[in-house]
Amino acid sequence: MQTAPLGLLRDLDPKRVMRAQVGGQDLVVWRASNGDVSAWDNRCPHRGMALSHGFVRGNDLACLYHGWHYGSTGACSYIPAHPDLDPPETIKTAVFSVAIADGVIWVSTKGVAQPAPVPMASQPLRCFHVQARSDGLAHACRTVAFEGGAPEQIEPGLYRLGARRVFVLENPLDEDRIQVTALVDADATPNDCAALSRWCDAVRRLAQTEKVAA
Amino acid sequence: MSREYALNDWYAVGDAQTLARGPRRTVLLEQEVIVSGTTDHPKVVDAEGAAYPATFKYGHVWTSLGDAPRPLFNIPEADEPGRRLVPCGVVRVKCSPLRAVENFLDIAHFPFVHTGILGSEPHTEVAPYKAEIRDDVDEVWATKISFYQPQAAKSAEAGGDTQYLYRVAAPTTAVLYKTCPPKPEAMDVIAIFVQPRTETECDVWPWMALYDETSEYAGLVQFQQEIFLQDRSILENQRPVKLPLDPKMEIPTRADLTSIAYRRWLKSKGAFYGAMTEDA
Ligand code: FES
Ligand SMILES: [Fe+2]
Repeated sequence: MQTAPLGLLRDLDPKRVMRAQVGGQDLVVWRASNGDVSAWDNRCPHRGMALSHGFVRGNDLACLYHGWHYGSTGACSYIPAHPDLDPPETIKTAVFSVAIADGVIWVSTKGVAQPAPVPMASQPLRCFHVQARSDGLAHACRTVAFEGGAPEQIEPGLYRLGARRVFVLENPLDEDRIQVTALVDADATPNDCAALSRWCDAVRRLAQTEKVAA
Repeated sequence: MSREYALNDWYAVGDAQTLARGPRRTVLLEQEVIVSGTTDHPKVVDAEGAAYPATFKYGHVWTSLGDAPRPLFNIPEADEPGRRLVPCGVVRVKCSPLRAVENFLDIAHFPFVHTGILGSEPHTEVAPYKAEIRDDVDEVWATKISFYQPQAAKSAEAGGDTQYLYRVAAPTTAVLYKTCPPKPEAMDVIAIFVQPRTETECDVWPWMALYDETSEYAGLVQFQQEIFLQDRSILENQRPVKLPLDPKMEIPTRADLTSIAYRRWLKSKGAFYGAMTEDA
């Protein structure tokens, strides 16, 4: 599995926890108080609880079921039922490589995360989920007009919309579901971003309708 | 294959309330059954009309689908004078029936899942206790448990240490005894009767035998149901869904002695319905 884009860093505030998926691997992605982002197997080694329901305490992630703490290395650091115990090193979550680039959270379930190059100076636009296949999404991106003009596809994932360019990153979740992370030119104004965000909504709607029609 | 052991156990499949409402069409061990009749004469049949043994005890209709049912366990406290018997309805949970029982046997989760009721931080420590498989009765028991609780029961007025005792009478039936706030020398009884619909979905029937003459029935049931709904949010998010019996798959600590004994006991009996075994 190559490195996958799991949304925007700005959507994951420190102390927040979210669930994500890369190539069938269920993940918990969370941000420590110090801002560090971690991505782990979404399963507590103790009794299998989904860690994505957990909560952040300082720079540890705590499991909701029995409150076990895990530090940034994935090792268990605290077991509330035995406050004086130094947890054995064998209690450890499966940790995956994370990289932050272009405001995007990238995770690899195999080896070191290597973010895909972004072909322009960019800023984050938004992240959304779409029930469609990759070709359906691309077709919708080429079809939905922006400010009266037809989009132009410059290269795979890169579209010219009026004076702006949008770069669309895909994380396939299953057969017909994609997590989309969209970036826009670095100098786009807040107004541009709001309009392009609405364009994303229209793209999602069209991709999903066409899927139903097909 | 995993149904084999389970077929000869007894399961709660209805209570007085469901009987009063008319026939209950339900699923037990992947088989459709229809529960009807009265508390004096309950009736359990399958879709073809074939009848299964049915008896009304502990506020519930019990049935067994096997050819040679083991005897239905005894809960002697049900007949003790002065106890209020409180069936608490039914909660559907998308989890292994065995995970539901294991969660019922666990105290370490109280401060995190039943926060402010059955536990609270910083009172998280689980003191050493005893858990054992009692071969003479073929049950799992856990004794000498004590835990700080902010509101141990509906009848509790303040926080305090509660003593607990657990008894696993069958793979899907567990009973707990806990000190009872209005009557310190006695113990309240709370049980869960788990009806396995499939290996990954169950109907849980909580039942209580309490010394509490003052609380409203509705309030007692609501208290218990609230706790079970909190447990459900955990149970539906454990992976794998089936209970792993391979000790390498999930790492326990001392606080999990009851769970360790329970898993070992299931394994030794071949009670694999809802379990994951090494070779499965
Ligand atoms: S399952 Fe996570 S702490 Fe117990
Ligand atoms: Fe619980």
